[in-house]
Amino acid sequence: MGNSVTSNDILTALRQVQDPDLKKDIVTLGFVRKAQASGSQVDIEITVPTPIFPGYEKMRLEISKRVQGLPGVSAINVTMVGEVSGEPASNKGGLPGIKNIIAVGSGKGGVGKSTVTANLAVGLAHYGAKVGLVDGDIYGPTVPIMLGAKEHDLQQNERGIIPIESHGVKFMSMGLLSKGSAPLIWRGPMAHKAVQESLLHVDWGNLDYLFVDMPPGTGDVHLTLVQTVPVTGAVLVSTPQDVGLTISLKTFKLFEQTKVPLLGIIENMSYHVCSNCGSREEIFGHGAVAEEAAKLKIPFLGEIPLDRSIRQCADEGMPVIIANPESPSAKVYLQITERLAAQVKILNHTRKPLIVIEEEPESSSQAFSV
Amino acid sequence: MDLQPMNWVPTSIKKQGRKSLLITWEDGHVSRYSFRLLRQHCPCAACVDEWTGKTTLNPENVALDLEGLKVEPVGNYALSFSFSDHHDTGLFHFELLRSICPCESCQTNRPMVRSGN
Repeated sequence: MGNSVTSNDILTALRQVQDPDLKKDIVTLGFVRKAQASGSQVDIEITVPTPIFPGYEKMRLEISKRVQGLPGVSAINVTMVGEVSGEPASNKGGLPGIKNIIAVGSGKGGVGKSTVTANLAVGLAHYGAKVGLVDGDIYGPTVPIMLGAKEHDLQQNERGIIPIESHGVKFMSMGLLSKGSAPLIWRGPMAHKAVQESLLHVDWGNLDYLFVDMPPGTGDVHLTLVQTVPVTGAVLVSTPQDVGLTISLKTFKLFEQTKVPLLGIIENMSYHVCSNCGSREEIFGHGAVAEEAAKLKIPFLGEIPLDRSIRQCADEGMPVIIANPESPSAKVYLQITERLAAQVKILNHTRKPLIVIEEEPESSSQAFSV
Repeated sequence: MDLQPMNWVPTSIKKQGRKSLLITWEDGHVSRYSFRLLRQHCPCAACVDEWTGKTTLNPENVALDLEGLKVEPVGNYALSFSFSDHHDTGLFHFELLRSICPCESCQTNRPMVRSGN
């Protein structure tokens, strides 16, 4: 007595489980790699298009619940694997091994964009993604210092410059390409060359995400970047007081005109957290960025507090996620990382990369008139 | 304000030998261009006066057998072409490409500035 459960039964149950961001069931989405029963033991393997974030626990629990409910099931094993989605398009000198390129911009300097970018990169690496970071902001504090990599002699192999690795992130700095500490003015052909060198002629290997920390505002680096590689999307960083500038200024419009989707906006230095008692004070009028984001329909990714430990960590070369993972800032960063990856997931789901297909010409018997 | 820039986005781009380019747009429209036509509409600074917007290129002077050697996407928003006359500096935004679609319905609604033949 008792029918054994079939794969079909399992799949029917799994159709009840939805991905909360893509709003479709996981069978239709192609997440289910394996749904097998041997007797009353069920083995399920799910592949999701992002790293495995804590948020997926809900999905795992729901899968277990639905399948447990089937008659004939005594035990379930659910394995979840993360395989980041993203298909690099063919592009003039493109980056074939890199799935997603994310530009991080701001309206002006001093909003903490480089710190935010470094922590986002480390955050994704923390969840198992393969991450790279190009520091294109030569005006701000250097990413190499923030990631704890001191002066390095760059090595090369036949595929290009070997990026430096730190905290699970491979990075390259446009500043590292210049000799000494002379400030460089990246104009025109030099910006073009800098982007080419620090982005294309680097042996990145395969990456799930490559962050490009842009100089503040807009300029030749931005233009070169969007022309050189297909940027998956842009993230804007703003402080509460600067949001007017960030939105109305050219940074935002440049991305819009060059069809770089906005993955979201982050409010940095949103409120202050006391390092002694942990109390929270809204000294800068936080919330302005979330309001603008809602008005303009840009995803709002989160608010990062002004927290002394972030700065200390940056100066000491250890991103706060690594140095102080229990701090409020670290937790916020990890949440923002998860939301950002969700936006990339949604984008990749809804759009196709631009690829030029070569076809044989029409037969000459067909007249072609223009 | 709709921020996600999905206007005039191609869903498919096909290079048909060296003679023509076929673009299918998101709204289902299909545009077919000869490379000669594309060359005549090159927007680069050598072909169009930056200040006045007038064409410095004479469309009649473009060879009748002008061919397209390479078609490459530029970022998310344009295509670049290498033509058989060695010209390759133009960046053709999708808005531009859509506006020069030579099909009858587009030309009735929005006549080209430069003639195709």
